[in-house]
Amino acid sequence: MEGASTIARKTWELENNILTVDPPDSASDSIFHYDDAAQAKVQQEKPWASDPNYFKRVQISALALLKMVVHARSGGTIEIMGLMQGKTDGDTIIVMDAFALPVEGTETRVNAQADAYEYMVDYSQTNKLAGRLENVVGWYHSHPGYGCWLSGIDVSTQMLNQQYQEPFLAVVIDPTRTVSAGKVEIGAFRTYPEGHKISDDHVSEYQTIPLNKIEDFGVHCKQYYSLDITYFKSSLDSHLLDLLWNKYWVNTLSSSPLLGNGDYVAGQISDLAEKLEQAESQLAHSRYGGVPASSHRKKEDEPPLAKITRDSAKITVEQVHGLMSQVIKDILFNSARQSNKSSSDPSDPEPMITS
Amino acid sequence: MAPSSSSGLTFKLHPLVIVNISDHYTRVKTQLNPPPSVCSSGNGSNNGEAMLQESPRVYGCVIGVQKGRTVEIFNSFELLYDPSSQTLDRPFLEKKQELYKKVFPEFYILGWYSTGSDAEESDMHIHKALMDINESPVYVLLNPAINHAQKDLPVTIYESELHVIDGIPQLIFALTSYTIETVEAERISVDHVAHLKPSDGGSAATQLAAHLTGIHSAIKMLNSRIRVLYQYLAAMQKGDIPCENSLLRQVSSLLRRLPAMESERFQDNFLMEYNDKLLITYLAMITNCSSTMNEMVDKFNTAYERNTRRGGRTAFM
Repeated sequence: MEGASTIARKTWELENNILTVDPPDSASDSIFHYDDAAQAKVQQEKPWASDPNYFKRVQISALALLKMVVHARSGGTIEIMGLMQGKTDGDTIIVMDAFALPVEGTETRVNAQADAYEYMVDYSQTNKLAGRLENVVGWYHSHPGYGCWLSGIDVSTQMLNQQYQEPFLAVVIDPTRTVSAGKVEIGAFRTYPEGHKISDDHVSEYQTIPLNKIEDFGVHCKQYYSLDITYFKSSLDSHLLDLLWNKYWVNTLSSSPLLGNGDYVAGQISDLAEKLEQAESQLAHSRYGGVPASSHRKKEDEPPLAKITRDSAKITVEQVHGLMSQVIKDILFNSARQSNKSSSDPSDPEPMITS
Repeated sequence: MAPSSSSGLTFKLHPLVIVNISDHYTRVKTQLNPPPSVCSSGNGSNNGEAMLQESPRVYGCVIGVQKGRTVEIFNSFELLYDPSSQTLDRPFLEKKQELYKKVFPEFYILGWYSTGSDAEESDMHIHKALMDINESPVYVLLNPAINHAQKDLPVTIYESELHVIDGIPQLIFALTSYTIETVEAERISVDHVAHLKPSDGGSAATQLAAHLTGIHSAIKMLNSRIRVLYQYLAAMQKGDIPCENSLLRQVSSLLRRLPAMESERFQDNFLMEYNDKLLITYLAMITNCSSTMNEMVDKFNTAYERNTRRGGRTAFM
């Protein structure tokens, strides 16, 4: 049995090009070292000024990711924002830490207000005293439920930032989709300067965007590009996280992704229904128009119905995963039906209670 | 050695605090021992590779909420403490507290943390200093030594208790137990970083595999724990180990808890949810089919367009 499972695992790893990263040892902790002189030198040289596509990758530390996701989730359906601290290394921006800003609902404001600036300055000062020497290297905010992309306001904010506060990075997190899909929804972006034409062969990954935001997305999607994100952690972090699993497995088993996100799923389905109606009216026109509309479309655009199919498949897959968890829990803990039922409260785990 | 606490408070620790402390420690350590590549660049390399400094102790505050008898520790931040003069930087603490209050208004200072292998006498000074903010602060100790044989999390939580020793009432540290508490989003991101899973979708098969692998590992852990319990009980039955009644009572109560849910309403709700999900799958399949049909019709129309140039009717439909 050991043989079969290792083969299965190796096949899976091969299929997904999983690079086995050597477990971080103390030599690789060097990423945590802040070298003042090197950073100052890079600031003077400004290699990004000549090439708008200069930064290609982002490395986020475990701590920064955890803080950002928890903060984003704590906002519920309200957008939150915060700043990230870190440094640059060649064409990579490294994010070491993140902190929240006391502002709310930034979609209607271009810049954070004055007291947020004061907070930022205070926080940076105290951080430097406490041994966190990095500078602010970007900002993050959340799009609860509607995907990781930059809205019109976000694009103008980021363009302003990239003019005066280089190097600067924009990160967007979707906490609702994170919980629903069971994996972290995050995107890192940099905008192009005004007037820069994006090359046509640049293909971005498809995302489900709700109908009321799709216009905003479409108008601005060519003004920025996304960067690849990888994560890193220190040797102590990985050691602790391994040990944490000893206590954590209970939470994995008892989590109920279906229950927490009922509203979101209902919203997704009704949004899908609206898109279907729209697509239907489009198709009806093309039938009586004689010449099918498909011949005029560019090759890269999919017909709207195919997009809808993809969205519906995604929603379904998430739901089915959640259902599988529930069924497994039911089999594990409920199948021992005995005649001597106890009247004590059932607990551990209770599938119907949100964790 | 610290005895066990008897205050009856339950402590819940969030993983964010653990990662915070670990990061703080790693930062300070790497800043004190610059990596060899920086040393060789020749600026101030007087420490050189030979002198490796001792693991520094870092200090900080933990914040969270206390509801009744449950203390939940959510977050933490750094503190400035001078071990030689044993003074705590008060204005810094207050400034930080104010900043954190703005962003997390419900949290307040619950105690402090430090790194090291064991609680020391000098720690009592910091503890007493914090007692004017919170009358019963907690002390979270993280042992940063990486020991691969270790099975348990090297985090211990101490509370302070007033004991009368040699006729003098003294404060001593008492060990308490704690549980790891989490919210769904935290769990997913910890899982993500711990196992470095592929971040983008991949095919549906890989998503499924990832999801099921997670559940599988959790079930394996459950199985191993139950096995340990079973072996222990078997040994007790054979007589190898003296019978411990309190343990037997606990095991018995655990067994009585199964099945976990037995009511009619639960069954109804469960089946209803099951049917809903199957309905969603059905709808998705229909959408898929209709989309494929539509494409086929389009291609068909394009192929047979010659026939429709005259008149307004398509050939077959």
